[in-house]
Amino acid sequence: MRGEKTMDTLVEIQNVTKTIKVRTIIDSLSFNVNKGEVFGFLGPNGAGKTTTIRMIVGLIGMTSGDIKILGHSIKTDFEQAIKHVGGIVENPEMYKFMSGYQNLVHFARMSQGVTKEKIAETVEFVGLTDRIHDKVKTYSLGMRQRLGLAQCLLHDPKILILDEPTNGLDPAGIREIRDHVRKLAKEKDMAVIVSSHLLSEMEMMCDRIGIIQQGKLIDVQLMTDFVQGNEKIYEIEVEGKEKAGRIVKEMYPDLRVQLTEIGVALPLKRENIPEVIKHLVNQDIHIFGVKEVTKTLEDRFLEVTSQKGELVHD
Amino acid sequence: MIKLIQNEWMKIFRRTGTYVMIGLLLFVLIVMGGFIKYQDSKGSVPDNSEWKKGLQVQNESYQKELTEMGDAIPPEVKLSYEREIAINEYRIENDLSPNEEYSVWGFLTDTSQMIEFAGLFTIIIAAGIVASEFNWGTIKLLLIRPIKRGKILAAKYLTVLLFGLFMLFILFAFSAILGMALFGFPNEAVPYLNYYDGSVTEQSMLLHLINYFGLKSINMIMLATMAFMISAAFRNSSLAIGLSLFLMFMGGQLTRLIAIKYEWAKYILFANTDLLQYFEGAPMVEGMTIGFSITMIIVYFLLFQAIAFYVFKKRDVAA
Repeated sequence: MRGEKTMDTLVEIQNVTKTIKVRTIIDSLSFNVNKGEVFGFLGPNGAGKTTTIRMIVGLIGMTSGDIKILGHSIKTDFEQAIKHVGGIVENPEMYKFMSGYQNLVHFARMSQGVTKEKIAETVEFVGLTDRIHDKVKTYSLGMRQRLGLAQCLLHDPKILILDEPTNGLDPAGIREIRDHVRKLAKEKDMAVIVSSHLLSEMEMMCDRIGIIQQGKLIDVQLMTDFVQGNEKIYEIEVEGKEKAGRIVKEMYPDLRVQLTEIGVALPLKRENIPEVIKHLVNQDIHIFGVKEVTKTLEDRFLEVTSQKGELVHD
Repeated sequence: MIKLIQNEWMKIFRRTGTYVMIGLLLFVLIVMGGFIKYQDSKGSVPDNSEWKKGLQVQNESYQKELTEMGDAIPPEVKLSYEREIAINEYRIENDLSPNEEYSVWGFLTDTSQMIEFAGLFTIIIAAGIVASEFNWGTIKLLLIRPIKRGKILAAKYLTVLLFGLFMLFILFAFSAILGMALFGFPNEAVPYLNYYDGSVTEQSMLLHLINYFGLKSINMIMLATMAFMISAAFRNSSLAIGLSLFLMFMGGQLTRLIAIKYEWAKYILFANTDLLQYFEGAPMVEGMTIGFSITMIIVYFLLFQAIAFYVFKKRDVAA
């Protein structure tokens, strides 16, 4: 799932490591991002999300490894690589003493071939036409975020990089950003890399997520696979849950049996359910019901990070 | 590159602070002009008939002091006496009265003191031009454009120089207009008497003033370059302003103090930035030549730029 390089691959992160003094901040990170997909970069605070994103856009140097954007190395071929990238790193800080339009003119001058019409079109797209000639210091956070988005779309980038794009926004603002991101990926075929520690938001926005913890990429999965996982938890409502738990444990010694208020919760494969029930009934356990417990993204996330985390520590 | 400079220029002139600085400069010039005008109208016109005699008396007293003091006289004083004597003799020979009326030229010579003021504002701009981007957080948006960091920094430095030139231009042009309005143009062109290497030559006043402004601004350019270097290397505009202003006011004095005792003072930047010392006085440390000073200035300049560019290009933008 890390993604082999295909024709659609726009961004390649190749074995990137960053050490500051003796501390390894990012440890041999590798993944690819393809066109038309929204790649979510998920991890707890301090895991290295922002550092990785800053390395992709060349704000921070890497100790070893390489990052290629459309085949151009960000290290050796910076101008060619970065011209395909539009980004907001953390909050979109603009020149507050200038108008939104002047800010856009400022950034338009730094890329080639951005016309006045293009600026107007982008302003229209993010919905700032009414206020674009006001000074940025009079803007709300949501409007600044829109201006930030306009700023990174001016030069028609193929890759969009958004670091914590919904930080501090109200629900309407979050939704707006999400809609824009999905639209850009689907309609303009952009590759979008989004980082966040907010799971619910990622769930709605991303096609694929990479989970980073302590500088290591511990998993890359399709969003749909990630939420469901390959096994589900079934809760069986029984009388005498301790006994039931013991019986199941005898059947599957490796299984993590959890006792709940009304019975036992078992992470089972679907095909094993009848066998377990049969066994329990044979042992005189009264069964009142069996139901599937859907895991939340949060459960999955904690599960993945704690499991892999243990592996890292061993 | 032109677009980048346009950007920097826009960022400077969209801020109110810049207009306050320009306003202050103009205000100071107006006050100066008014003050001189007021004093001038009260003072009496100098007695013009006996000036040759006066100069002769002056020269005799200079000569007397020179012979009396002999070797004990400091070289600086000796040089300035010799200069005065030579110029006075030239005046007597060529019938050029020193008692010309105060005119626009006089005013321009007086306002050239204000170069330090224009320098101060240039230092403020230089100190902020990189550090502010870090403070505002806009550096992150600035450095993810298809332009190398070195080019962005170069554009910023050129903008600082342009701003310095702009301030000098305002100072010069406004003083000239104000001077002409208040004191008028002299009836006949008054030449400037230049004393260099033991001989006196006549020079056009305008040329002299442009020269004078140019040489005086070297100090300001070097300090602005230093402020720019601190700004780019340490991302701290207060440190850049503070240190540069301190050195602007104290650098010369401190160097002079060190120069009394140690010869290595001649390697200090501030012993060399005042190139006028070779034309109108004596060098701070004996044995210094104009060639040496120019070399030192270039060495310091390259050093500042090397530090600024090296650190700025390597820096991880993490905050």
